[in-house]
Amino acid sequence: MSKTFFIDTTRCTACRGCQVACKEWQGFEGNQTKQVGWGSHQNPPDLNPKNYKVVRFSEQKLKDRVAWNFFPDQCRHCVDPSCKYPADEYKKGLVILDEETGAVIYTDACRDMPKDVFQQMLDFCPYNIPRRDEKTGVINKCDMCVERVKEGLVPMCVKACPTGTMNFGEREDMIDLAKKRLGIVKKEFPEAQIIDEEAVRVLYLVAYKPETYFKTAAAKPGTFDVTRKEALAKMGQSFRNFFRV
Amino acid sequence: MNITRRNFIKATGLGAATITLGNIGCSSASAQGYSKQLKIKGAREVISICPYCSVCCHFIAHVKDGKVVSTEGDPGYPVSQGALCAKGSAMLSQINDNKRVLNCLYRAPFSDKWEEKSYGWMVDRVAQKIKETRDKHFKEKNEAGQTVNRIDEIFHLGSSQMDNEELAVTGQAMRTMGVVHIDHQARV
Repeated sequence: MSKTFFIDTTRCTACRGCQVACKEWQGFEGNQTKQVGWGSHQNPPDLNPKNYKVVRFSEQKLKDRVAWNFFPDQCRHCVDPSCKYPADEYKKGLVILDEETGAVIYTDACRDMPKDVFQQMLDFCPYNIPRRDEKTGVINKCDMCVERVKEGLVPMCVKACPTGTMNFGEREDMIDLAKKRLGIVKKEFPEAQIIDEEAVRVLYLVAYKPETYFKTAAAKPGTFDVTRKEALAKMGQSFRNFFRV
Repeated sequence: MNITRRNFIKATGLGAATITLGNIGCSSASAQGYSKQLKIKGAREVISICPYCSVCCHFIAHVKDGKVVSTEGDPGYPVSQGALCAKGSAMLSQINDNKRVLNCLYRAPFSDKWEEKSYGWMVDRVAQKIKETRDKHFKEKNEAGQTVNRIDEIFHLGSSQMDNEELAVTGQAMRTMGVVHIDHQARV
């Protein structure tokens, strides 16, 4: 049975409780923040090796008002993770798809990965998630708090969320919940949708088009189909060479 | 090398099995790669209260060997039901931060450095300053000759963390001295 997140962005107030709770659980030190000169209250400016999660802020001008879209960005734990292909081609076992939970995990051994392989992982990720610590070489991203989940606890970001934005549970339950909320939200926001429902284990419900939240909020159309085709094509030829074309 | 049929089948069979397991990402090396231990396992749970806003969310501190290793919301607290905002989520850092002030610090007038003082010394000092200020500025009557019995030069800033009883005592103390400017920090 695989687990799934349901993130209802229509309820998010950008308190960033999830973002801080994640940092505290993982034991990451603080980041350099950026307060002025870039027109946003978002902090830190982007995901980094010390932030598995960042609440993205985006202002959108509508016909009669301004919408302030909040998007708690994190790894989507894809059902068929694209980042795993280049990693597996380099060395098996560095990127793991945990069968019990469905979590995509970067092991500590990833730190020895060559630069070009990491670049491929980053290029393959439809959501621009993996980050590397240039000093230590560590490659990391959200690990679904897999040690908590295996003990029956929910991930720290879900535990902290005070608004009901973050939900976590069995995949079927989360899909049901997402559909139920979509039905309600659609009445007010006709553009509402669940992003890449089939392909990911983190279901985002958004009120407007995904690109109004963040440029890689949704995967480009066809991303996952292509990856599967390419994976089949790698039989008998070097995967890496294939992609360099 | 002496290869019998039996050994040959064993060798190829093993090879095939290794390839299959490897392909589905199931080698023993990878399984150890993320066998992270739950850091709160076996820790003592202590309930405490977030000091920031008036919601006073409870949080659970996980204590191991006398050290707080993790904090998270207390699901038993009926207001927040286990949730915390960004401030409450940062309790662990607040407790363990190496810049945390653990003793009373005093900076004398016109001094450029802080000195460590005891709580007793601080209380005496504050009491002395209140008395001096009150003796100097206490006003019995205003310009119109009406009795006011007040002191405009002292301002009391309380805290949204105070409960009714503490507020009653503090309010009485301030009004007894004639302080009329009483407020608290509300939500910060």
